[in-house]
Amino acid sequence: MNGNGHRSANGNGNGHRPAKLRGYSAWSLVQHGLSRGDWPRTWHDHDMRDSYDVVIIGGGVHGLATAYYLARDHGITNVAVLEKAYIGSGGSGRNTAILRSNYLTPEGVRFYDRSVKLYENLAADLNFNVMFSQRGHLTLAHNDASLRTMRWRSEVNKHEGVDSDVIGPDEVKGLVPYLDTSPDTRYPILGALYHPPGGIVRHDAVVWGYARGADANGAHIHQLTEVTDIDVEHGRVTGVRTNRGRIATKAVVNCTAGWASLISDMAGVSMPVQTFPLQAAVTEPVRPFLDTVVVSGTLHVYVSQTDRGELVFGASVDPFASYSIRGSLEFTEGVAGHVLELMPALSKMRLLRQWAGLCDMTPDYSPIMGPTPVEGFYVDVGWGTYGFKAGPVSGEAMAATVADGAPPEIISSFGLDRFADGRLVGEKGAAAVGH
Amino acid sequence: MSLTTPDPTPTTTRARPGRLAPQPGEVIDRRRPVTFTWNGVTHRGFRGDTIASALAASGERVFSRSYKYHRPRGLLTADFLDPGCSVQVGDEPNVRGGHRLVEDGMVVSSQNTWPSLKFDVKAVNGLAGRFLAPGFYYKTFIKPQRLWPLYEKVLRRFVHAGEITADVSGGVPGETFDKRYAHPDVVVAGGGPAGMAAAVAAALAGSRVMLVEEEHELGGHLRWGDADDREALRDLRAQVAAEPGIEVLTNSVVSGRFDDNWLSIVQRGLPQVFERLIKARAATMIVAPGLIERPYVFEGNDLPGVMLSTAVRRLINLYAVRPGSRAVVLTANPEGDAAVEDLRRAGVEIAAVVDARAGDTVVRATGRSEVTGVELSTGARIACDLLVTAVGWTAPTSLLNMAGDRPVYRPQAARFLPDPQRMPENVLATGGIVGDGTVTELVAHATAIGREAARRAAARARAIGEAVPTRGGDAPALPNPDPTPVDVPVLAPADHPELFQGSTHGFVDFCEDVSSKDLVIAVKEGYDSIELVKRYTTVTMGPTQGKLETVNTVAIVAAATGRTMAETGTTTWRPMYAPVTLGALAGRIHEPVRYSPMQSWHERHGATPLVAGQWIRPEHYGDPAAEVRAVRTGVGIIDVTPIGKLDLRGPDVAQLLNLLYVNKWSKLGIGRVRYGVMCAEDGVVMDDGVTGRLGEDHYLMSTTSSGAATVWEWVEDWLQTAHPDWRVHVTPVTTAYASINVAGPRSRELLAGLTNVDLSADAFGYMQVRTGAVAGVDDCVLWRIGFTGELSYEIHVPASYGLHAWERLMAHGADLGVQPFGVEAQRILRLEKGHFIVGQDTDGLTRAYSGALDWAIKLDKDDFVGKPELVWQQEQGVTTQLVALQPDDRTTVPEEASQILAADGRIAGRITSSRMSPTLGRSICLGQLEPALAAPGTVVTVRLVDGRDIGATVIEGLAHVDPEGARQRV
Repeated sequence: MNGNGHRSANGNGNGHRPAKLRGYSAWSLVQHGLSRGDWPRTWHDHDMRDSYDVVIIGGGVHGLATAYYLARDHGITNVAVLEKAYIGSGGSGRNTAILRSNYLTPEGVRFYDRSVKLYENLAADLNFNVMFSQRGHLTLAHNDASLRTMRWRSEVNKHEGVDSDVIGPDEVKGLVPYLDTSPDTRYPILGALYHPPGGIVRHDAVVWGYARGADANGAHIHQLTEVTDIDVEHGRVTGVRTNRGRIATKAVVNCTAGWASLISDMAGVSMPVQTFPLQAAVTEPVRPFLDTVVVSGTLHVYVSQTDRGELVFGASVDPFASYSIRGSLEFTEGVAGHVLELMPALSKMRLLRQWAGLCDMTPDYSPIMGPTPVEGFYVDVGWGTYGFKAGPVSGEAMAATVADGAPPEIISSFGLDRFADGRLVGEKGAAAVGH
Repeated sequence: MSLTTPDPTPTTTRARPGRLAPQPGEVIDRRRPVTFTWNGVTHRGFRGDTIASALAASGERVFSRSYKYHRPRGLLTADFLDPGCSVQVGDEPNVRGGHRLVEDGMVVSSQNTWPSLKFDVKAVNGLAGRFLAPGFYYKTFIKPQRLWPLYEKVLRRFVHAGEITADVSGGVPGETFDKRYAHPDVVVAGGGPAGMAAAVAAALAGSRVMLVEEEHELGGHLRWGDADDREALRDLRAQVAAEPGIEVLTNSVVSGRFDDNWLSIVQRGLPQVFERLIKARAATMIVAPGLIERPYVFEGNDLPGVMLSTAVRRLINLYAVRPGSRAVVLTANPEGDAAVEDLRRAGVEIAAVVDARAGDTVVRATGRSEVTGVELSTGARIACDLLVTAVGWTAPTSLLNMAGDRPVYRPQAARFLPDPQRMPENVLATGGIVGDGTVTELVAHATAIGREAARRAAARARAIGEAVPTRGGDAPALPNPDPTPVDVPVLAPADHPELFQGSTHGFVDFCEDVSSKDLVIAVKEGYDSIELVKRYTTVTMGPTQGKLETVNTVAIVAAATGRTMAETGTTTWRPMYAPVTLGALAGRIHEPVRYSPMQSWHERHGATPLVAGQWIRPEHYGDPAAEVRAVRTGVGIIDVTPIGKLDLRGPDVAQLLNLLYVNKWSKLGIGRVRYGVMCAEDGVVMDDGVTGRLGEDHYLMSTTSSGAATVWEWVEDWLQTAHPDWRVHVTPVTTAYASINVAGPRSRELLAGLTNVDLSADAFGYMQVRTGAVAGVDDCVLWRIGFTGELSYEIHVPASYGLHAWERLMAHGADLGVQPFGVEAQRILRLEKGHFIVGQDTDGLTRAYSGALDWAIKLDKDDFVGKPELVWQQEQGVTTQLVALQPDDRTTVPEEASQILAADGRIAGRITSSRMSPTLGRSICLGQLEPALAAPGTVVTVRLVDGRDIGATVIEGLAHVDPEGARQRV
């Protein structure tokens, strides 16, 4: 969004005062419990306007956070979020909810660290408990090569001020007694990258909290609204076509995952993205025994235990590109075998359910964020397997991008033009196992 | 049936809940009593009892506490699904007490109760229930945020589940998990009357059939039926037993259906095998799971003593257990009516029969720790200790949904039914999931479906057989199925009143403690699609995965939103249909391990093992520095079998090499070896190795050890997709050869006495290849190359002679002081020589020019993989550069991955390899650096892992030792 054109369309420009989010507290629970009155709707249904200042495609955490920060930080409130199913139905509701910032490149570390910081304050900011549990994050090393990569990450992390270090097998055992750290296992645990601020969060709550915050600030959330085309005239966005009619707008933000390249194609912008399924699974609950997130790149598995007692498993993306979101038997066999390599005591736990989501993979395992050659068409895509943990910082940065017409420093490395310039941001070493 | 007039007061003489006299259909063996403990107290049962039936026979009514409010819970379904009867058995959590058979000595306990099942302190949550609305945790514990970890600890204590023990040995000795592969023509999921009849019909039509039944024996609802049912059951079981083409799997369940009828079947209860996963590729699958009885939603519906009609009938008829003393029965169907008769026969006083078909219903059940009374819609209050409901059925369509079907709601039948239009050709359905009928009607439908499944299986076998081009004339004849589909009689669902919720709120999800009121509140708060309701309230997310809850949830959400049930739809049914242990999914843990043929020698000689991908190799034999010195001054041998090896034959091999390597191959003469670097399409270094030309059209390519599989796939990918016309045969021969590198100034001396190959410098020069005999073994390949920087020969011996060749080299070299060396010494040697390792000194962004490979890259070649990117990189200049560094302090070895800082404190590079050099007596490194700092003589700052900064100087070239390469050319 260039200059103040769109802001003035809203009448109050930066004069918009962000709505103070309140209403949820222990006291209000007691009051409602006593009065048995109804809670207000978390967000509202609206008729679709003929035009919006900004149209955000994708009602996941990225789209909703962008809408929220547009209002909170920039006073832009005439905003629509279009969601083809229900909010959080895509990657935001299918990921394994792991947060961390122990990436490999300085750019990546700074970016994800900002996200973790935003997550740390998100519950108070949104007045919605997103249950961020900073229980620590362990990435196991089973050979000297991965130990070297862990060291590389920890050195870059420390340099950027992120709490991260390589620890030995005894410390690993102290953190996770159920891990088999004996030296005679097939893949002995030689050490681990330990990242205390990492953890898990209630992913749906993040979506709902942002939806509530965006709604309270005037954004319209349109569910069951599928974008069918994007109108571009003379190199500028002029509107969005949906199954519920056309919306005139000069600013469109593509916040989709799984379909990011298809939506961008509608605006005539080609994305270097391939889409792969990523599978996950959950077990029946057992009493809590696993306090940290455990990742093994060698064994292609990661595991955490929810506050409900379930173990959540994930792995690498499927080995072939596809839009299928059905699970496969082979995935569960592989993940079970690898988990039991790490924690043999879990053999009698039962797998309850498996599912899949779609991941838009870029060549360098980093996202594509910012303006595109089509004026008014912004992208926040290519999120691979790390989109959820970047939700808050992406929303904040994309809101700034739309408001200022140019990306802020924190995402300047992630522009689409880097694929023409060759300035890739290689995160494969820290992101190849999708979590 | 006769309707009973409500009788508000109990008679004085009542039969107590407990074991009945023998029942005609009972499955317990009264001659074989078993003893087990329940929460430390000894109980008795009979062989054939489930944990639940044995406890119920002892008069136990409370089996668990609920998740959120810690309400006492008893039996509801008395089968696998029973949400109130998850128990701990020894080291096994979450055992389905309604399904698991009792065994002598079993130790059973209730889960997550404190201090005891009967008095649970957390039951106070029930009093606070009005404040614990759905999602209450999203609305509180927000401030102060620093207290959330404490809140979280408390919340985690409420986890409603069993325990696992931290025994890393992995469970009971001798008890294993297992897998099996099967290729049946027809799999029948469900062994009730329809499943049995379908299996018999399919087998009679010539199919090999797998009949899978979740319970411990075949029969479905006939097992707890009347005399006619038992007669039909005997007949059907006899027919199944008479068919050798049917394999019966009881206590087993089809847990998933994946593409092309790839079925996962869990088989339980085998001797010594805890669980087995059968992976079956079935030509056709018949889904015949019957129906699941649906609970009714009303106040108090979770009190112990409130049971489904099927639960009551199972307890009485299968286990001879009297489920209560005085019962009220709410019935809307014949199953409920039959339950009344069963209860009467069992001596249970029938206080009232409430006929829902006549519009009567139950308002609420009352009682504290169990049901003590019922309030009816007529206003009557009746004392009772048992309330039985029979209000309808859920068709468990999961397997059909996994096959692409979407169930359709039929209001007249009050249930979702499969949509035959959306079922794939290789999946059929029969029995209760399709419709209702007498046993005869069910059997008639199932028989037709069974024949049709066999016909389709035969048609598939024929189609596959006909498609095999090499099918010989003596192959068995293909089946010749009738082209006409079997005529399947109609099996229509019976009309049934729509009964989901009464006039009061009650529990919808018993696993998750979610009530109908919670669902209504969620809808009002805006969570108004079925998926959002599920996620907000966690309804249907517990161990039963919606089998008992989904339809009631849909009905309540539909009512709350003003939509129809069809518009509301169901949540997605995902695999697994029934939970599967991780052990069964993993099978016998089998992570492949690769050893070279010389492994036994290494072990005998004290080698320290190193895990290198799938390979286990010697890291060293005690003193890597000594091993290095031996190679520099005498001779050493190293086992390099894991090096990837591809045998390439054909007239177009040189073209292939030109395409895949950045350097040139057209002029490589026979007997010559060349080093090559492969890049991916993005110009990033992917692998390196040497390739030798053994004959006119015959080459042997080597790859890095870790890249062996990747490069093979890469070569095949380019050949098969881009150049299928090229005549190249690729054979991976990594493990066909044992590979030994003989290195050091005396290596020629050592090898000379063991080979018929002329080793003189003139006859066999540097970077040449010969074939010949080594240690009496013919067909060995000898490469004269030098990764270590010394004169060396890499010999590839047919693998079965590897150990022999190694032992001969050691024996023959004894007087030369030959020293075996391991991977660590090799790493030091190559670092001294400045040879990089792909993936260690390069990373996922290192294009070839950054790897100091300018000399190898031939941009004047027509084309090669990665060329456009490398042309571009050459124009733009590199962003990082591989360099050799030497720390100013000769004794400090910066840890690999230590960062190199620019003057302004930015990260400007990193140490990629570092060691103490025994040859130079100083620390040496390789590193990636920004080009501005990469000039020889530049002093850079290295940030050590402990935070100290040291200086290091970039040296000329990459080699720390013998930069001229004189030592390897002698």
